[in-house]
Amino acid sequence: MSLNRTRHLMLVSILPLGLLLASFLPNTIVTTAANAITAEEMLANPQLEERARNLSKQLRCLVCQNQSIDDSDADLARDLRREVRSQIAAGDSDDAIIDQLRQKYGDYVLLNPPLDPATMFLWLAPFAFIMLGGVIVLVARRQRGIEDVNELDASERAKIEKLLASRNDRDEPKT
Amino acid sequence: MSKVRLSFLLPLLAFGILALVGAVALYATLSGSRDPAQLPSVLVNKSAPRTNLASLMPNDAGDNMVQLAAFRGQPLLVNFFASWCAPCRAEAAALEMLSKRVAIMGIAYKDRGEDTNSFLAQYGNPFRAIGMDTDGRMGIEWGVYGVPETYLLDANGVVKLRHAGPLTRGVIDTTIIPALEALGS
Repeated sequence: MSLNRTRHLMLVSILPLGLLLASFLPNTIVTTAANAITAEEMLANPQLEERARNLSKQLRCLVCQNQSIDDSDADLARDLRREVRSQIAAGDSDDAIIDQLRQKYGDYVLLNPPLDPATMFLWLAPFAFIMLGGVIVLVARRQRGIEDVNELDASERAKIEKLLASRNDRDEPKT
Repeated sequence: MSKVRLSFLLPLLAFGILALVGAVALYATLSGSRDPAQLPSVLVNKSAPRTNLASLMPNDAGDNMVQLAAFRGQPLLVNFFASWCAPCRAEAAALEMLSKRVAIMGIAYKDRGEDTNSFLAQYGNPFRAIGMDTDGRMGIEWGVYGVPETYLLDANGVVKLRHAGPLTRGVIDTTIIPALEALGS
Protein backbone atom coordinates (compact mmCIF):
# COMPACT_ATOMS: atom_id res chain seq x y z
CA MET A 1 0.00 0.00 0.00
CA SER A 2 2.78 2.45 0.85
CA LEU A 3 4.30 1.97 -2.59
CA ASN A 4 1.00 2.70 -4.18
CA ARG A 5 0.63 5.85 -2.17
CA THR A 6 4.08 7.18 -3.00
CA ARG A 7 3.39 6.63 -6.65
CA HIS A 8 0.17 8.45 -6.21
CA LEU A 9 1.72 11.41 -4.45
CA MET A 10 4.24 11.68 -7.27
CA LEU A 11 1.50 11.72 -9.85
CA VAL A 12 -0.44 14.39 -8.00
CA SER A 13 2.60 16.63 -7.70
CA ILE A 14 3.81 16.11 -11.28
CA LEU A 15 0.49 16.91 -12.91
CA PRO A 16 0.40 20.63 -12.03
CA LEU A 17 4.04 20.95 -13.10
CA GLY A 18 3.22 19.52 -16.50
CA LEU A 19 0.31 21.87 -16.93
CA LEU A 20 2.44 24.81 -15.89
CA LEU A 21 5.02 23.91 -18.52
CA ALA A 22 2.32 23.40 -21.14
CA SER A 23 1.02 26.89 -20.50
CA PHE A 24 4.36 28.30 -21.66
CA LEU A 25 4.07 26.66 -25.07
CA PRO A 26 3.63 29.26 -27.80
CA ASN A 27 -0.06 29.72 -28.43
CA THR A 28 0.40 29.90 -32.18
CA ILE A 29 -0.97 26.36 -32.29
CA VAL A 30 -4.42 27.66 -31.45
CA THR A 31 -4.71 30.51 -33.91
CA THR A 32 -4.32 29.12 -37.38
CA ALA A 33 -7.28 30.96 -38.91
CA ALA A 34 -6.64 32.97 -42.04
CA ASN A 35 -5.84 36.52 -41.08
CA ALA A 36 -8.18 39.28 -42.08
CA ILE A 37 -5.54 41.78 -43.08
CA THR A 38 -5.71 43.26 -46.56
CA ALA A 39 -2.81 44.21 -48.78
CA GLU A 40 -3.39 47.97 -48.69
CA GLU A 41 -3.29 47.99 -44.89
CA MET A 42 0.24 46.68 -44.74
CA LEU A 43 3.25 48.81 -43.99
CA ALA A 44 5.85 49.06 -46.73
CA ASN A 45 8.72 48.23 -44.40
CA PRO A 46 8.61 44.44 -43.85
CA GLN A 47 10.25 44.74 -40.44
CA LEU A 48 7.66 47.22 -39.19
CA GLU A 49 4.89 45.15 -40.77
CA GLU A 50 6.20 42.12 -38.86
CA ARG A 51 5.95 44.11 -35.63
CA ALA A 52 2.43 45.23 -36.50
CA ARG A 53 1.34 41.64 -37.18
CA ASN A 54 2.88 40.51 -33.94
CA LEU A 55 1.01 43.19 -32.00
CA SER A 56 -2.30 42.50 -33.76
CA LYS A 57 -2.12 38.89 -32.63
CA GLN A 58 -1.99 39.96 -28.98
CA LEU A 59 -4.91 42.36 -29.18
CA ARG A 60 -8.51 41.36 -28.77
CA CYS A 61 -11.19 42.33 -31.23
CA LEU A 62 -13.68 43.92 -28.83
CA VAL A 63 -16.68 43.23 -31.06
CA CYS A 64 -16.08 39.52 -31.64
CA GLN A 65 -14.31 39.13 -28.30
CA ASN A 66 -12.70 35.74 -28.88
CA GLN A 67 -10.62 36.70 -31.88
CA SER A 68 -7.53 38.81 -32.19
CA ILE A 69 -7.72 41.91 -34.35
CA ASP A 70 -5.36 40.04 -36.66
CA ASP A 71 -7.99 37.34 -37.23
CA SER A 72 -11.11 39.43 -37.29
CA ASP A 73 -12.96 40.92 -40.22
CA ALA A 74 -14.85 43.32 -37.97
CA ASP A 75 -14.78 47.00 -38.76
CA LEU A 76 -13.37 47.92 -35.40
CA ALA A 77 -10.61 45.33 -35.77
CA ARG A 78 -9.57 46.98 -39.03
CA ASP A 79 -9.60 50.38 -37.38
CA LEU A 80 -7.45 49.10 -34.54
CA ARG A 81 -5.00 47.49 -36.97
CA ARG A 82 -4.74 50.81 -38.73
CA GLU A 83 -4.24 52.54 -35.37
CA VAL A 84 -1.45 50.13 -34.44
CA ARG A 85 0.26 50.66 -37.79
CA SER A 86 0.03 54.43 -37.65
CA GLN A 87 1.63 54.39 -34.21
CA ILE A 88 4.38 52.06 -35.36
CA ALA A 89 5.00 54.35 -38.30
CA ALA A 90 5.15 57.27 -35.84
CA GLY A 91 7.97 55.46 -34.04
CA ASP A 92 6.20 54.29 -30.87
CA SER A 93 7.51 51.20 -29.08
CA ASP A 94 5.39 48.04 -28.88
CA ASP A 95 4.89 48.55 -25.15
CA ALA A 96 3.78 52.14 -25.63
CA ILE A 97 1.22 51.09 -28.25
CA ILE A 98 -0.21 48.33 -26.09
CA ASP A 99 -0.29 50.68 -23.13
CA GLN A 100 -2.20 53.30 -25.10
CA LEU A 101 -4.86 50.81 -26.12
CA ARG A 102 -5.08 49.52 -22.57
CA GLN A 103 -5.83 53.04 -21.39
CA LYS A 104 -8.76 53.20 -23.78
CA TYR A 105 -10.17 49.69 -23.67
CA GLY A 106 -8.75 48.33 -20.42
CA ASP A 107 -6.93 45.04 -19.87
CA TYR A 108 -9.75 43.40 -21.79
CA VAL A 109 -8.05 44.38 -25.03
CA LEU A 110 -5.22 41.96 -24.22
CA LEU A 111 -5.79 38.34 -25.22
CA ASN A 112 -3.43 37.28 -22.44
CA PRO A 113 -4.77 38.76 -19.23
CA PRO A 114 -2.05 40.08 -16.92
CA LEU A 115 -1.59 38.47 -13.50
CA ASP A 116 -3.05 40.92 -10.99
CA PRO A 117 -5.37 40.65 -7.98
CA ALA A 118 -8.48 40.67 -10.21
CA THR A 119 -7.28 37.78 -12.39
CA MET A 120 -5.48 35.87 -9.63
CA PHE A 121 -8.37 33.45 -9.19
CA LEU A 122 -8.51 32.82 -12.93
CA TRP A 123 -4.83 31.93 -13.09
CA LEU A 124 -4.68 29.90 -9.90
CA ALA A 125 -8.01 28.09 -10.13
CA PRO A 126 -6.72 25.17 -12.27
CA PHE A 127 -3.98 24.43 -9.76
CA ALA A 128 -6.35 24.78 -6.85
CA PHE A 129 -8.76 22.33 -8.46
CA ILE A 130 -6.02 19.81 -9.23
CA MET A 131 -4.78 20.01 -5.66
CA LEU A 132 -8.30 19.62 -4.33
CA GLY A 133 -8.73 16.56 -6.53
CA GLY A 134 -5.44 15.18 -5.22
CA VAL A 135 -6.53 15.65 -1.64
CA ILE A 136 -9.82 13.90 -2.34
CA VAL A 137 -8.06 10.93 -3.93
CA LEU A 138 -5.58 10.69 -1.07
CA VAL A 139 -8.28 10.84 1.59
CA ALA A 140 -10.27 8.17 -0.22
CA ARG A 141 -7.21 5.93 -0.55
CA ARG A 142 -6.19 6.26 3.04
CA GLN A 143 -9.62 5.29 4.24
CA ARG A 144 -9.77 2.28 2.01
CA GLY A 145 -6.41 1.26 3.50
CA ILE A 146 -7.78 1.52 6.98
CA GLU A 147 -10.69 -0.69 6.09
CA ASP A 148 -8.35 -3.29 4.62
CA VAL A 149 -6.38 -3.85 7.79
CA ASN A 150 -9.44 -4.19 10.01
CA GLU A 151 -9.03 -7.47 11.88
CA LEU A 152 -11.92 -9.69 12.76
CA ASP A 153 -12.61 -9.73 16.44
CA ALA A 154 -13.03 -12.88 18.50
CA SER A 155 -16.80 -13.10 18.23
CA GLU A 156 -16.71 -12.64 14.41
CA ARG A 157 -14.05 -15.35 14.21
CA ALA A 158 -16.15 -17.74 16.27
CA LYS A 159 -19.16 -17.01 14.07
CA ILE A 160 -17.26 -17.84 10.91
CA GLU A 161 -15.80 -21.02 12.42
CA LYS A 162 -19.28 -22.07 13.31
CA LEU A 163 -20.64 -21.33 9.85
CA LEU A 164 -17.80 -23.18 8.17
CA ALA A 165 -18.26 -26.13 10.48
CA SER A 166 -21.98 -26.37 9.81
CA ARG A 167 -21.32 -26.13 6.08
CA ASN A 168 -18.78 -28.95 6.27
CA ASP A 169 -21.30 -31.03 8.14
CA ARG A 170 -23.90 -30.52 5.50
CA ASP A 171 -21.62 -31.15 2.54
CA GLU A 172 -20.25 -34.37 3.90
CA PRO A 173 -21.58 -37.24 1.87
CA LYS A 174 -23.93 -39.35 3.84
CA THR A 175 -22.80 -42.81 4.44
CA MET B 1 -18.15 5.35 9.49
CA SER B 2 -17.62 9.13 9.82
CA LYS B 3 -14.29 8.81 8.03
CA VAL B 4 -15.82 7.00 5.09
CA ARG B 5 -18.22 9.87 4.70
CA LEU B 6 -15.47 12.48 4.33
CA SER B 7 -14.20 11.13 1.02
CA PHE B 8 -17.74 11.20 -0.22
CA LEU B 9 -18.55 14.59 1.23
CA LEU B 10 -15.48 16.46 -0.07
CA PRO B 11 -16.21 16.10 -3.81
CA LEU B 12 -19.86 16.76 -3.12
CA LEU B 13 -18.91 19.96 -1.31
CA ALA B 14 -16.60 21.04 -4.16
CA PHE B 15 -19.35 20.41 -6.67
CA GLY B 16 -21.80 22.25 -4.48
CA ILE B 17 -19.62 25.37 -4.41
CA LEU B 18 -19.16 25.29 -8.19
CA ALA B 19 -22.87 24.80 -8.74
CA LEU B 20 -23.65 27.70 -6.42
CA VAL B 21 -21.27 30.07 -8.25
CA GLY B 22 -22.79 29.01 -11.56
CA ALA B 23 -26.32 29.44 -10.29
CA VAL B 24 -25.61 32.94 -8.98
CA ALA B 25 -24.02 33.96 -12.30
CA LEU B 26 -26.89 32.46 -14.27
CA TYR B 27 -29.46 34.17 -12.09
CA ALA B 28 -27.69 37.52 -12.43
CA THR B 29 -27.59 37.12 -16.21
CA LEU B 30 -31.23 36.09 -16.53
CA SER B 31 -32.49 38.79 -14.19
CA GLY B 32 -30.62 41.38 -16.24
CA SER B 33 -28.25 42.67 -13.57
CA ARG B 34 -25.27 41.08 -15.30
CA ASP B 35 -24.77 41.46 -19.04
CA PRO B 36 -21.77 39.50 -20.34
CA ALA B 37 -21.80 41.56 -23.53
CA GLN B 38 -21.21 44.77 -21.58
CA LEU B 39 -17.49 45.40 -21.44
CA PRO B 40 -16.21 47.48 -18.56
CA SER B 41 -15.15 51.00 -19.47
CA VAL B 42 -11.84 52.28 -18.17
CA LEU B 43 -13.14 55.79 -18.71
CA VAL B 44 -15.52 55.75 -15.75
CA ASN B 45 -14.42 58.27 -13.10
CA LYS B 46 -11.84 59.70 -15.48
CA SER B 47 -11.92 62.83 -17.57
CA ALA B 48 -13.48 62.31 -20.98
CA PRO B 49 -10.99 62.42 -23.84
CA ARG B 50 -10.43 65.82 -25.45
CA THR B 51 -13.01 65.90 -28.17
CA ASN B 52 -12.98 68.37 -31.00
CA LEU B 53 -14.84 67.31 -34.13
CA ALA B 54 -16.15 68.82 -37.33
CA SER B 55 -19.75 69.81 -36.76
CA LEU B 56 -22.64 68.43 -38.74
CA MET B 57 -24.56 71.62 -38.14
CA PRO B 58 -22.31 74.70 -38.38
CA ASN B 59 -23.85 77.56 -36.40
CA ASP B 60 -24.55 81.09 -37.56
CA ALA B 61 -21.25 82.38 -36.21
CA GLY B 62 -19.56 80.14 -38.73
CA ASP B 63 -18.06 77.91 -36.05
CA ASN B 64 -17.84 74.51 -37.65
CA MET B 65 -16.20 72.61 -34.81
CA VAL B 66 -17.91 70.80 -31.92
CA GLN B 67 -15.98 70.86 -28.66
CA LEU B 68 -16.77 68.80 -25.64
CA ALA B 69 -15.21 71.46 -23.41
CA ALA B 70 -17.96 73.88 -24.43
CA PHE B 71 -20.44 71.82 -22.42
CA ARG B 72 -18.61 72.15 -19.10
CA GLY B 73 -20.66 73.29 -16.13
CA GLN B 74 -23.60 70.95 -16.61
CA PRO B 75 -24.14 67.20 -16.82
CA LEU B 76 -23.95 65.94 -20.38
CA LEU B 77 -24.86 62.81 -22.25
CA VAL B 78 -22.54 61.89 -25.09
CA ASN B 79 -24.16 59.51 -27.55
CA PHE B 80 -22.25 57.70 -30.30
CA PHE B 81 -24.68 56.82 -33.06
CA ALA B 82 -24.82 56.16 -36.80
CA SER B 83 -27.46 56.20 -39.48
CA TRP B 84 -26.53 52.65 -40.46
CA CYS B 85 -27.08 51.31 -36.94
CA ALA B 86 -30.45 49.67 -36.31
CA PRO B 87 -30.40 49.87 -32.48
CA CYS B 88 -29.76 53.61 -32.85
CA ARG B 89 -33.17 53.92 -34.47
CA ALA B 90 -34.66 51.96 -31.61
CA GLU B 91 -33.28 54.34 -28.99
CA ALA B 92 -34.16 57.57 -30.83
CA ALA B 93 -37.40 58.06 -28.88
CA ALA B 94 -35.62 57.48 -25.57
CA LEU B 95 -33.00 60.10 -26.42
CA GLU B 96 -35.73 62.54 -27.39
CA MET B 97 -37.28 62.06 -23.97
CA LEU B 98 -33.95 62.40 -22.16
CA SER B 99 -33.08 65.57 -24.09
CA LYS B 100 -35.75 67.42 -22.09
CA ARG B 101 -33.81 66.66 -18.95
CA VAL B 102 -30.13 66.79 -19.89
CA ALA B 103 -28.02 68.19 -22.70
CA ILE B 104 -27.02 65.55 -25.26
CA MET B 105 -24.08 65.76 -27.58
CA GLY B 106 -24.15 63.38 -30.53
CA ILE B 107 -21.13 61.87 -32.21
CA ALA B 108 -21.93 60.42 -35.62
CA TYR B 109 -19.66 57.39 -35.79
CA LYS B 110 -18.27 56.47 -39.24
CA ASP B 111 -21.14 58.13 -40.99
CA ARG B 112 -21.55 60.46 -43.95
CA GLY B 113 -23.07 63.88 -43.28
CA GLU B 114 -25.96 63.43 -45.70
CA ASP B 115 -26.83 60.02 -44.21
CA THR B 116 -26.73 61.46 -40.69
CA ASN B 117 -28.97 64.32 -41.79
CA SER B 118 -31.61 62.06 -43.29
CA PHE B 119 -31.45 59.85 -40.18
CA LEU B 120 -32.15 62.90 -38.01
CA ALA B 121 -34.95 64.06 -40.31
CA GLN B 122 -36.61 60.68 -39.95
CA TYR B 123 -36.05 59.89 -36.27
CA GLY B 124 -35.77 63.34 -34.71
CA ASN B 125 -32.83 65.35 -33.45
CA PRO B 126 -32.35 65.30 -29.67
CA PHE B 127 -28.78 66.66 -29.90
CA ARG B 128 -27.46 70.12 -28.94
CA ALA B 129 -24.51 69.52 -31.20
CA ILE B 130 -23.28 66.75 -33.45
CA GLY B 131 -19.66 65.98 -34.15
CA MET B 132 -18.60 63.91 -37.14
CA ASP B 133 -16.26 61.03 -36.30
CA THR B 134 -15.89 60.06 -39.92
CA ASP B 135 -13.00 57.62 -39.56
CA GLY B 136 -13.84 56.27 -36.09
CA ARG B 137 -10.67 57.64 -34.50
CA MET B 138 -12.56 59.51 -31.79
CA GLY B 139 -14.48 56.31 -31.05
CA ILE B 140 -11.18 54.56 -30.32
CA GLU B 141 -10.20 57.42 -27.99
CA TRP B 142 -13.39 56.83 -26.01
CA GLY B 143 -13.04 53.05 -26.03
CA VAL B 144 -16.16 52.63 -28.17
CA TYR B 145 -16.59 49.10 -29.51
CA GLY B 146 -19.96 49.45 -31.17
CA VAL B 147 -22.79 51.91 -31.66
CA PRO B 148 -24.87 53.05 -29.94
CA GLU B 149 -22.84 53.86 -26.87
CA THR B 150 -23.79 56.48 -24.33
CA TYR B 151 -21.65 58.23 -21.73
CA LEU B 152 -22.82 60.39 -18.86
CA LEU B 153 -20.44 63.19 -17.89
CA ASP B 154 -20.65 65.38 -14.82
CA ALA B 155 -20.27 69.17 -14.86
CA ASN B 156 -16.46 68.81 -14.80
CA GLY B 157 -16.34 66.54 -17.81
CA VAL B 158 -15.67 63.39 -15.76
CA VAL B 159 -17.29 60.22 -17.11
CA LYS B 160 -19.76 58.84 -14.58
CA LEU B 161 -21.39 56.06 -16.56
CA ARG B 162 -21.09 54.25 -19.84
CA HIS B 163 -23.81 52.22 -21.46
CA ALA B 164 -23.09 50.11 -24.54
CA GLY B 165 -26.14 49.25 -26.59
CA PRO B 166 -29.47 51.01 -27.06
CA LEU B 167 -31.05 53.01 -24.25
CA THR B 168 -34.16 51.08 -23.41
CA ARG B 169 -36.87 52.03 -20.98
CA GLY B 170 -35.34 49.67 -18.44
CA VAL B 171 -31.82 51.06 -18.83
CA ILE B 172 -33.07 54.62 -18.46
CA ASP B 173 -35.11 53.85 -15.36
CA THR B 174 -32.53 51.70 -13.60
CA THR B 175 -29.25 53.38 -14.50
CA ILE B 176 -29.47 56.68 -16.40
CA ILE B 177 -32.10 58.49 -14.32
CA PRO B 178 -30.56 57.50 -10.93
CA ALA B 179 -27.14 58.60 -12.19
CA LEU B 180 -28.59 61.92 -13.38
CA GLU B 181 -30.24 62.41 -10.02
CA ALA B 182 -26.95 61.71 -8.29
CA LEU B 183 -25.48 64.57 -10.33
CA GLY B 184 -28.36 66.80 -9.22
CA SER B 185 -30.05 66.99 -12.58
